[in-house]
Amino acid sequence: MIKIENLEKVYRTEEVETKALNKVSLTVNEGEFVAIMGPSGCGKSTLLNIIGLLDEPDGGSLKFAGTEIAHYTERKRADLRKRNLGFVFQSFNLIDELTVVENVELPLIYLGVSAAERKEKVDKVLEKMQIMHRRNHFPQQLSGGQQQRVAVARAVINSPRLILADEPTGNLDSSNGNEVMELLTELNEAGTTIIMVTHSEHDARYAHRVIRLLDGEVVMENVHKQFTA
Amino acid sequence: MFKNYLKVAYRSLVRHKGFSFLNIVGLALGLTACLLIGLFVFDELQYDKSVPEGNQVYRVYTEYTKNEALEAFAVVPPMFATTLKQEFPEVEQTTRILMNSSISLLEVGEKKIYLENGLIADSTFFDVFPLPFKYGSAKEALAGTRSIVLAEDAAKTLFGGQDPVGRELKVSKTTFIVKGVLRNSLSKFHLKINYVLPLAAAEIPAERMKSWGWQQFYTYVKLKPGTDAQQTQAKLQDYIVQKVRNLDKKDPITFVPFLQRLTDIHLHSASFKYDLAVRGNITYVKALSLIAAFVLLIACFNFVNLATAKSMQRAKEVGIRKTIGASQQQLMLQFLIETVLLTFVSVLVAAVLTSLVLPTLNEFTGKDMSFNLLAQPVILLLLVILTVVVGLMAGFYPALVLSGFQPIKVLKRSVASDGMFGRVQWLRHGLIVVQFSLSIFLIVSAIVVFLQVDYLHNKDLGFNREQIMFFPMRGENMKKSYESFKSELLQTPGVASASIGYGFPGDAVAGDQIQVPTKGEQKLYSVTHLMVDYDYLQTLGLQLLVGRNFSKELTTDKDHAFIINQTAAQELGFGTPEQALGQTLVWNVTADSVKKGQVIGVVKDFHYKSLYDRVEPAVLHINPADYWKVAVKLKGENLGSAISGVKEVWRKFSPDYPIEYKFLDDNFTQMYQAEDKLKSLLWVFTAVAVFVGCLGLFGLATYAAERRKKEIGIRKVLGANTSTIVALLSKEFLKLVLVAALIAFPVAWVVMRKWLEDFAYRINFPLWVFLAAGLAAVAVAFLTISYQAIKAATTNPIQNLRAE
Ligand SMILES: Nc1ncnc2c1ncn2[C@@H]1O[C@H](COP(=O)(O)OP(=O)(O)O)[C@@H](O)[C@H]1O
Ligand SMILES: [Mg+2]
Repeated sequence: MIKIENLEKVYRTEEVETKALNKVSLTVNEGEFVAIMGPSGCGKSTLLNIIGLLDEPDGGSLKFAGTEIAHYTERKRADLRKRNLGFVFQSFNLIDELTVVENVELPLIYLGVSAAERKEKVDKVLEKMQIMHRRNHFPQQLSGGQQQRVAVARAVINSPRLILADEPTGNLDSSNGNEVMELLTELNEAGTTIIMVTHSEHDARYAHRVIRLLDGEVVMENVHKQFTA
Repeated sequence: MFKNYLKVAYRSLVRHKGFSFLNIVGLALGLTACLLIGLFVFDELQYDKSVPEGNQVYRVYTEYTKNEALEAFAVVPPMFATTLKQEFPEVEQTTRILMNSSISLLEVGEKKIYLENGLIADSTFFDVFPLPFKYGSAKEALAGTRSIVLAEDAAKTLFGGQDPVGRELKVSKTTFIVKGVLRNSLSKFHLKINYVLPLAAAEIPAERMKSWGWQQFYTYVKLKPGTDAQQTQAKLQDYIVQKVRNLDKKDPITFVPFLQRLTDIHLHSASFKYDLAVRGNITYVKALSLIAAFVLLIACFNFVNLATAKSMQRAKEVGIRKTIGASQQQLMLQFLIETVLLTFVSVLVAAVLTSLVLPTLNEFTGKDMSFNLLAQPVILLLLVILTVVVGLMAGFYPALVLSGFQPIKVLKRSVASDGMFGRVQWLRHGLIVVQFSLSIFLIVSAIVVFLQVDYLHNKDLGFNREQIMFFPMRGENMKKSYESFKSELLQTPGVASASIGYGFPGDAVAGDQIQVPTKGEQKLYSVTHLMVDYDYLQTLGLQLLVGRNFSKELTTDKDHAFIINQTAAQELGFGTPEQALGQTLVWNVTADSVKKGQVIGVVKDFHYKSLYDRVEPAVLHINPADYWKVAVKLKGENLGSAISGVKEVWRKFSPDYPIEYKFLDDNFTQMYQAEDKLKSLLWVFTAVAVFVGCLGLFGLATYAAERRKKEIGIRKVLGANTSTIVALLSKEFLKLVLVAALIAFPVAWVVMRKWLEDFAYRINFPLWVFLAAGLAAVAVAFLTISYQAIKAATTNPIQNLRAE
């Protein structure tokens, strides 16, 4: 589903030039659950953001389902994002002015889904995330774990083919963290491809495969579980 | 989608209450000022627009070149109308109004009231101005010599609610018969009318009506449809040159006649002499429109400023929305909807404020403007347009900036950094500079106007205007026995002195020519004639420079003596006051009688007209035939009993007329009403502009303090004290205010000098005004900023650091 070849990303500030990604190549298959690990600053988020079309690479190729998307226009990126991708962040990134329901239905609004259909879908996903009873609360009124469940709900509401999660448990205690990991595993088992950045070996164990980055380069791959497409 | 936008817009307004409040208040104030000015300007532009066939009506006026300056006269000689009617085929009708500034006594039975604004007009008046009648009709309404037409209010006062047509009415003791009553629809007519009398009633000798020199008539022509007024004007000018100019070889006509469109009279006659029209001033209308645009611009700038400052807090939301798949267009739309919503609230507030303030403005301007959304759909439409236009104008830039954020950049930090706002920062600072430039400009203007108005009211006018009762004589008996009337006045306790004459300061004065016979040659000069008595100088406290006052003991003084003012001594070619003494002057009293005499004294110049006008050469002489007005100087103590003493004497001499008096200094107070109003208006505008500007600065300071929280925390941990930090935060804004001052000063200097030039007598442009305005702006700016700065500087640094 994702095929990356010789991907490069260089950050230039006035004095220094940081090579965040140095000729990274990797492939993620449809239905796979991949964890990306590595020390802080090694380029994990950069990689994930490029895959998520939030950032552009300086070199190399990025294919999504066989199509080269490394240099899509802004409009096409937005379109691809809203149809195929779901994001989960460490800091939840919910809109403070919107309630749980409103946050979750937002992707559907941008997709132009009718109100009735939105309600049905949102109710279903909130049920699944066990956050239904908090549907009309605002993010600040929720615990971290609840907020992340809302974020996951929002990420899956448009039934994306790929979920990108950047340290989804980083701000959570272990029991809340486990809950989120269970959710992701369930989604993966239902067929969604997942790429997750994490610091935790424990979380990485939920994935089929772990890719290790160091200073912008892939240094190792371990396979935890057998994955069959 | 739309609902979602509105919801988010509403929630974000509520969440950022402070910001929303600043935004709404600032914008609402700006809009209110604009609406009020808009109403005023609209009203000013309505004059005479609804006169039927008014586009065919023109007023004739004349221009002279005098001392190399052009002077326009609203009054023209009677022959203009006669000639236009008889010899210009394109003229459909003409009408004249006699210039008479008097207030007349109207009586119905026992009811007696003094009324001004009585027109004495040709019977064709209602042909040229087909005003609507409530009772009676325009036909024959001014026929004969004893007809009168009343305005609705005057009719109500005199006759109650009944139809008075056919009833009798006395005007200055002469009986007239009411032929009609005008409907109350004259508020936008350039003439104020209480009643109209036929010109025939004035019984002016036919010979006089043939004059080409007696400038006493407001003259209107109605041209036939399709006539080119430019052409008629050219023909008329030509006619004057060909046939009129040299009728009198000794006294050639020098004026040039012009036609003025009826709808131009109200706003384009500000500099006309002897105008009767209700006049506005196109310059003020333009200036006000400009100010309205300025204020609205400031308010919009402010909005942009606050919105971009706030955008820092919205950055995360933009990042999330984009990550989810929102396009830039969708986000722009969202932010524009927010601004329009905010503008909508501001417009509502402004509409409420406007209707609250309008009564005051009506009182202030003497207008009867209305602002009613339900009754005036135009206004509703206007408000909707205003909402959309202002909303889009103010919202476009912030929306563009916000929707352009790169999601990963803003999501990395909880609040976006300033680095990505290089250009925005520059813009925000530019806006503050513009705002403060405008504020400082207004502050300078307001101070200059204040000083000039103060000068107008308090300048030494060369005479003593305090405690002088002033009134016209009424009734034959009083005029006939003016001498005994005066001597009884002088015997009244509390009366210091009294003078009877025609030509008192601040009141109407007569202008005519005077001859100076030198070496066989007769030179003619236009001068002011002050018809005085023996006590004029003493009553007004005029200062005699050389020579002596008129004396009753010298019988020749009555018919053969003149006192002139300093300016006359010079302009009549005598030189110094001393040299003027003993010179001969000749005045043609009528066609066949002359008054010839010597200059017996020269008085120091005194301002008998407003300070707009240069003091003109004036000649004072004893001339009982023209005696009309009375000035009674009262002693300082016990004014009340002195006034009732004067009233008692009045009743003895003129029991039929009630006395109506005022004080001479009121004449002068009234002269500068327009300037007084400008002064108050400028203060209000300055206050609003400064306030709105400060709102913007406040928003910006809030944002800056927020942005530099961490820096401040670190500095404090490292030992910086509160005042260093306040200085740190204030410095950058105060710099902006100084730049603004440098821009505003030269502009204010040029504009206000131009304004001052209209006054013949004016203050020197005080340079300290700049210092004062600059200091005021800096002080206000500092107070605004320091609240945030001090707050930031005094919070516990650990809190700020932990929050990061
Ligand atoms: N916007 C940026 N500008 C400059 N350098 C950046 C930027 N974003 C990331 N970097 C640098 O790129 C490198 C990789 O960053 P990142 O992908 O966020 O690391 P990780 O997520 O693995 O901690 C780091 O050295 C970081 O400092
Ligand atoms: Mg990271």
